[in-house]
Amino acid sequence: MTGPIINDATVKTKEKKITIDPITRLEGHGKIEIFLDDAGNVANAYLQVPELRGFERFCIGRHVQELPVLTNRLCGVCPAAHHIASTKALDAVFNAEPTETAKKLRELFYMGQYTHSHIAHFYALAAPDFVLGPSAPASKRNVLGVVDAVGVPIGAEVIKHRSYGQKVQEIIGGRATHPVFGLPGGVSKQISEEERLQMVEMAKSCVEFGKFTVKLFHDVVLANKDYLGLILNQDAYYLETYYMGMVDKNNKSNFYDGDIRVVDQTGKQVVKFKPSEYLDIIAEHVEPWTYMKMPYLKSVGWKGFEVGPSSGIYRVGPLGRINVCEGYTTPLAQAEYEVLAKTMKDLGVKGPVHHTLAFHWARVIELQYAGERMLELANDKSITSDDIRGAFNPPTEGVGICEAPRGTLIHHYASDKDGICTKINMIVATTNNYAAINTSVKQAAKALIKNGEVSPGLLNKVEMAFRCYDPCNSCGTHALNGGPALEVNVHRKDGSIVKTLSNF
Amino acid sequence: MMNMTETVAKGRRTLIIGLGNLIVSDDGVGIHVTRKIREMSIPSIDVDELPASGLELLDAILDYRKVIVVDAIKTERGNPGDVYALREEDFEETVHGSSPHGINVATAFALGRKIVPERMPKEVVFIAIEAEDLVNVSEELTATISRSLPKIIEFVLRVANEPTRA
Repeated sequence: MTGPIINDATVKTKEKKITIDPITRLEGHGKIEIFLDDAGNVANAYLQVPELRGFERFCIGRHVQELPVLTNRLCGVCPAAHHIASTKALDAVFNAEPTETAKKLRELFYMGQYTHSHIAHFYALAAPDFVLGPSAPASKRNVLGVVDAVGVPIGAEVIKHRSYGQKVQEIIGGRATHPVFGLPGGVSKQISEEERLQMVEMAKSCVEFGKFTVKLFHDVVLANKDYLGLILNQDAYYLETYYMGMVDKNNKSNFYDGDIRVVDQTGKQVVKFKPSEYLDIIAEHVEPWTYMKMPYLKSVGWKGFEVGPSSGIYRVGPLGRINVCEGYTTPLAQAEYEVLAKTMKDLGVKGPVHHTLAFHWARVIELQYAGERMLELANDKSITSDDIRGAFNPPTEGVGICEAPRGTLIHHYASDKDGICTKINMIVATTNNYAAINTSVKQAAKALIKNGEVSPGLLNKVEMAFRCYDPCNSCGTHALNGGPALEVNVHRKDGSIVKTLSNF
Repeated sequence: MMNMTETVAKGRRTLIIGLGNLIVSDDGVGIHVTRKIREMSIPSIDVDELPASGLELLDAILDYRKVIVVDAIKTERGNPGDVYALREEDFEETVHGSSPHGINVATAFALGRKIVPERMPKEVVFIAIEAEDLVNVSEELTATISRSLPKIIEFVLRVANEPTRA
């Protein structure tokens, strides 16, 4: 194969507004608007999310026990995360403590979801930029091009392990895509010894595939000075924000259960809170040009699309989680976490990793962790116990939080005495990241587009600034569909369009 | 993952799979159709439903001889209830576009033919049903599509019973 194509030729545009629509390789409709000044430099850039269909209203009046199945229909990408957050919200609504077996089964199921989701993002959405190059022709810069470059056997391993993730979810959750097993205080289905052994074998293979992926990331991305240069490019891909994510009692990263930890730009803990306290910590800002709200830290306040200690913008997802935790409970993930920490330290980075493209590295570490944790849980013979359902009480109100692959996911329900939903509030991962995504898009556009010089490769590098968040606008606006995604418009100062790029 | 007996058996069978979201009105028409067909318990035809697309769809269709995918569509000048039969080649233009999680149907199938060609169906037919409402959150089909269901089911079964194209 020839080497990746990092740069392409730019052409000078006289236009003042650039629109990228729909965003390729991004779930849900979205549009990037880039406004140029008279000199052809970027004055402003926005990621607009144009849809809203009022999913919350649809849920009010339903029985709360339907919500784990209804909310996971928000979209086809991370239904398992919604199912888990929703089930945990029901634990709280019914004041029901799940049994140990139920907790383990839910977490094991969830490791299947992470395996599936992180493999899909890294290999299908991120790898085209890193294997073929950010400026490779769009017709090649996709998963098929990746398979052509790395070979069919590796492609087959990708598909196989992704399907192992699905299979684990299917065994425990009843269905892979829209699971049905979560109940307040437990799960609906016991698993057999045969199923446990089947999951052990798949998990072993996932651990090996995690190792393979970590090595691939080192060989293809970190060993390439052009890519390392992109990752370390502080003009285009670097934001000093707050971070948020779930940790266990020892501050180790956890995706299923724990407290939510927030750290500042230096890595110092700002707050560690219980799910039920989220409204004391998070407030939401609304902008007139988009349907998606922008959460921020209440104690710091909304200061617009600015970063630093005085702006309440925080980041979630793999980068958020790796910055709030003090490591992993499994050996291979912990070892790679230490490699990342040392690499950054050697580069002079103190405290959290603010480099936006490091999302990809963090995601690869999490894939390794998910495989290892899957194996630990599958090896636990007690998970075949029939003790899968705990006691529950009359319904009231409750909050459930888990870490979706894309970041912190919050479900909050209130119920009347008959179990009918009277209030629902959800803050999904992409919404938590929305202000930061906008800030990243603006930063990348400003750094990369100069004097009106644009090219498909340059605009793809702007896209890379938000693609690494693995955003899913579909459930960010609770819009339900999974249609095609993005357009980039470049505008003149008078608002007229210079150039439009889209994938449809 | 799958034992040989099952693979051989599947290799002679036809799968009818409905795609869509059951809480977005006509978006769920594919699943409404396949649920009715499932009730008929037709030998040699398996019925499945999927709320996703892309790689999930690829997982579902492997090893079948013939696959019929039923889904909603919205075209510029279509009449709700119209039914179209499309083939893989009709989607070639979209291979590089995007859809759920970046992998659309055409890309997923192209990936399947690259990686597991021997497990790909001999024939795939997409039956697209022109929808009226793909916007509102509702568990009901619109009246127009509801009325068209018998006609749609008859069409799907006719396509399923045609001899497989090599």
